[in-house]
Amino acid sequence: MVYSPFDFNEAIGHRKEYIEDRLRDGSPVVGVHYSTGLLLLTIRKTQRKVFEIYDRLLYSAIGNQSDIEAIRIAAIDVAHKEGFDRSPDDVTAQRLVSFALSPPLKKLFGDQFNSPAIIRGIFGELGNTPEEDLFLVINYDGEFSQSNDFAVIAGTQEAEDRMSLWLMGISSQTTREQALDRAIKAWGAGAMESRRRQMKDDKDKHPLPELDETEQLTNYLREELKTSHVEVGVLERNSLRENKFRLMNDDDLRELLKEYS
Amino acid sequence: MATDLRELLGISNGQAITLTALPPVLADSRSNNSELLDIHGTTVIAVKYQNGVINVGDRRATANYSVMYDHAEKVLPIDDYTLLSISGSYARAMEVVRYLRHSFKYFERSQLQPMSLDGKLSELAKVIAAGIPAAMQGLGGFIPILSTFDARAGEGRIFFYDGMGARFESAEFGAAGSGSVQIRGVFDYIVKTKKPFHEMKRSEALKEALRLLDIASDLDAATGGWSKVLPLAKTISAEGIQDVSEQELTNIVHEIDKSAR
Repeated sequence: MVYSPFDFNEAIGHRKEYIEDRLRDGSPVVGVHYSTGLLLLTIRKTQRKVFEIYDRLLYSAIGNQSDIEAIRIAAIDVAHKEGFDRSPDDVTAQRLVSFALSPPLKKLFGDQFNSPAIIRGIFGELGNTPEEDLFLVINYDGEFSQSNDFAVIAGTQEAEDRMSLWLMGISSQTTREQALDRAIKAWGAGAMESRRRQMKDDKDKHPLPELDETEQLTNYLREELKTSHVEVGVLERNSLRENKFRLMNDDDLRELLKEYS
Repeated sequence: MATDLRELLGISNGQAITLTALPPVLADSRSNNSELLDIHGTTVIAVKYQNGVINVGDRRATANYSVMYDHAEKVLPIDDYTLLSISGSYARAMEVVRYLRHSFKYFERSQLQPMSLDGKLSELAKVIAAGIPAAMQGLGGFIPILSTFDARAGEGRIFFYDGMGARFESAEFGAAGSGSVQIRGVFDYIVKTKKPFHEMKRSEALKEALRLLDIASDLDAATGGWSKVLPLAKTISAEGIQDVSEQELTNIVHEIDKSAR
């Protein structure tokens, strides 16, 4: 069989198209940091989506459930092995993503004889100071990017762009309440973008077309939260507990959700 | 050739970390100074109180008749609800603490549920048993007390071990280390003449535990007093593990000193 450069491009293109199509409707995840911690927020109907990886690392992803799990377990394995053999201080999101996770994803993506991983993941790393907080977003093809104040993952670039607009201005001085408020609105903006795309051929089904963006968002979140619930995993910088990670409970979220109940 | 993501990532199936075994010591290769190799922790005490368990320990670590360190921490959190108080070989005990911390957290993070109390107790028994060959030759033997808050039963629990890894649950108290022998009867005397520890208030039980530590340091040559460094005290309750503040310790220690004169 003759294999030309054209075939390679074509094949990679098909794989990319296939994966992007599968990722398109994933419920977005928002990562923001604030003065005393760092959180990942999403809204979900079924399985848990935000996970603790190590003392200062948390993770969430969209895509195929089995691939999400494989990356989660691999990250936990690598982190604990390194943390035990060397030191918890040597376990960083940057090392984890660039050396342990990215190469296998890249290899699998280019391997024409195997099905690729369908995943877009986000790691949050809590620093000793807010300035050291970090987010790493990793893609199905092994590509990854790093940011400090916030990061998002969603099914499409358009959704991610809309979400990021809501997060501009997040900084080391942001309070937990502000961070939560921005995060849920950013989630709404991303999820609404995905709904808008689904509905674009059917103008009658377009949700609340006559309202302005903020009103649409509030209404949209109110609707969503009737059937789904908010999941927030948080790493608390000043926690006296042995574990810095916890999932926020109803008490933590009561104030935030008042606006949408 | 079919490979999947899990294979590429090298996932370990639950065995990310293993405790390094102590190398066997040849009897005739031991010098007369081999005891100096192995620094020992001295006295640790656990008593129950109304809401949970209190652990106290002196700060001394010795090798033979020398005081090697007077800031040793021998009451160590393993997870949010488990304390390990250690006596005997400091090197081995600290390694075991590091191992258990990783092992318990690895289980909880990967399996998404905490390891059961029974599972934790067995894990500790296993690592003690694994050290028997070396301990028989005089190196690396240590005796821990494990205290925990049993959320299901709604009460604190104390378990002590022998050098072989047998575990025993204690209804009221536990002690280990060189000074524990001298004070053993005092625990019973307190329970029989005052009241059971588990009926005591936090302040009451804390004072009794510190008084016991004071007696141990009086009667055992290796146990450190508090003339130079304050002892260490931690509590476990439904709210998790908490340090007893230096201020509180200073006050109680002064009270005990005053009443002793």
